[in-house]
Amino acid sequence: MKNQFARTMYEVGQVNPKLVVVVGDLCHWAMQPFAKACPGRYYNTGVTEAATIGLGAGLSAVGLIPVVHLIAPFMVERSFEFIKLDFSYNEFPGNLVSAGSSFDYSFLGATHHTYTDYATLKTLPKTQLIYPAAPQEFDLLFRQTYNNDFLTYFRLPQTEHGVSIDKNKIKVGTGIKIKDGEDITIVATGSQLKSAVESAETLKKMDYDPEIIYIHTLKPLDTKLITSSAEKTKKIITMEEHSIIGGLYADVLEAVKEIPGVKVSPIAIPADFLRGYGGYEDHCKALGLTAEGIVKKVKTDFRRKK
Amino acid sequence: MVYKAGDGHIPSGLCIVEILNVLYRDILKYDPKNPKWEGRDYFILSKGHGSDGFYVILEKYGFLTQKDLDTFTKYDSKLGGLADRTKVPGVEAAGGSLGHGFPVSLGMSLGLRIQGKSNRVFVLIGDAECNEGAVWETVLLAAHHRLGRLYCIVDDNKSSSQILEMGSISEKFRAFGWNAYDVDGHNEEALLDVFKKLPNEAYGKPTAIIAHTIKGKGAKMLEGHGVWHSKAPNTEEYAQIMEQLED
Repeated sequence: MKNQFARTMYEVGQVNPKLVVVVGDLCHWAMQPFAKACPGRYYNTGVTEAATIGLGAGLSAVGLIPVVHLIAPFMVERSFEFIKLDFSYNEFPGNLVSAGSSFDYSFLGATHHTYTDYATLKTLPKTQLIYPAAPQEFDLLFRQTYNNDFLTYFRLPQTEHGVSIDKNKIKVGTGIKIKDGEDITIVATGSQLKSAVESAETLKKMDYDPEIIYIHTLKPLDTKLITSSAEKTKKIITMEEHSIIGGLYADVLEAVKEIPGVKVSPIAIPADFLRGYGGYEDHCKALGLTAEGIVKKVKTDFRRKK
Repeated sequence: MVYKAGDGHIPSGLCIVEILNVLYRDILKYDPKNPKWEGRDYFILSKGHGSDGFYVILEKYGFLTQKDLDTFTKYDSKLGGLADRTKVPGVEAAGGSLGHGFPVSLGMSLGLRIQGKSNRVFVLIGDAECNEGAVWETVLLAAHHRLGRLYCIVDDNKSSSQILEMGSISEKFRAFGWNAYDVDGHNEEALLDVFKKLPNEAYGKPTAIIAHTIKGKGAKMLEGHGVWHSKAPNTEEYAQIMEQLED
């Protein structure tokens, strides 16, 4: 994802002379081709996150298109008031691209985690939240939105979902139906699409035919796709590397609230700090963010009546 | 204005009126009929609590009307206790939540230079605002990137000293690689001298102007750091203030 970020900046930067990239000491070496191709439009501001967000808003104020790239907790949680006032309240559009969200920095522990970035940012007016978990998705979604009137947050995960998706289906604000199904819907975002796809075979053996929906845009959320599936299956599992508070689960619940008889069951991060270390996979396993976790959830929450 | 509104920060506004008057009379390039004019210099009131002083200056130089001032802080007014850039002509960015206008002005100055433009960017912060970490992040970045057309005016009315002693603010700016001048913030001639000799090059040291002021200057009863910080006068007090201001 890091290399794709740098490649996309390199290509778009040469087409649009207004694009300016500011990084907080990450991706610095990968950005050197952009820095050479777009002289005077690349800045590494070190560890000055709050001022860097304000700086980005100032670039926007004078007609440029800022792309600010920081580590997620320091971008969203440390600097939230700067995002809220300097960009949002002032109505300056721009692009915020985070890396190291959720528990990507698993071995460092909770100081470097953020589980509530889209819950926090979606409260701000005129924002878009995009979570591309494949290089192609970031490239396409960035090109579709970077120059519009919104403040757009891109959450770049360390792990890709690895599922092949037709590029023509990748459109901002549009969910993607990965697989048609009949009796249970799995709505997955980010890297967890992989777990959803992997679970299908086991679920089939259990006599379930799951419908799999992939969400790369959290805001605006494609509620139409979700509700049409909910009306059919009445059973939904949400999968996300985000807090159970204010994330995909909450938004799906909101979307289906008027549909009678629908049950939504989440696999997400509990409202607590993750105090374990290890690797990304260790956390996924502990949280049930795996194919096995989905199967277990189906067994516990959606047991068929005999 | 504050008397009619029943709300405001009179002393914070009074201590910056001479600074603003000199800037808008003699220094800044702007067109009040076209506040978004591309050739303008930028002014950002990061110390947003001085908005009543700022609005009076914006009215004096044609951005606002007396009628606008009369609506100060009313529900439908364009003029709030802290200025909203989407509503007030001549306001470039929100201030008042301290430590915000300065980093935004940094981005403006950098962005103008990236585009090969020579517009200057002036930002006014308070000495107590200098308690904020984002201020020093900005000072560091501006010096590193040699923003020669960024000018930070510090209204040093000694607010911080009530709680945290700041020492010499100009020495601090110099230590971070800025030019820094100390000046009497109520002496218009001295202010003009400093503003006229400001360096004006795309790449160079940014410049701080430490304006030493008295909070509430102009009406003896308001001066200092007492209850008047955010108090609106009653009828009797209003008459006393006006009499002292006229003196």
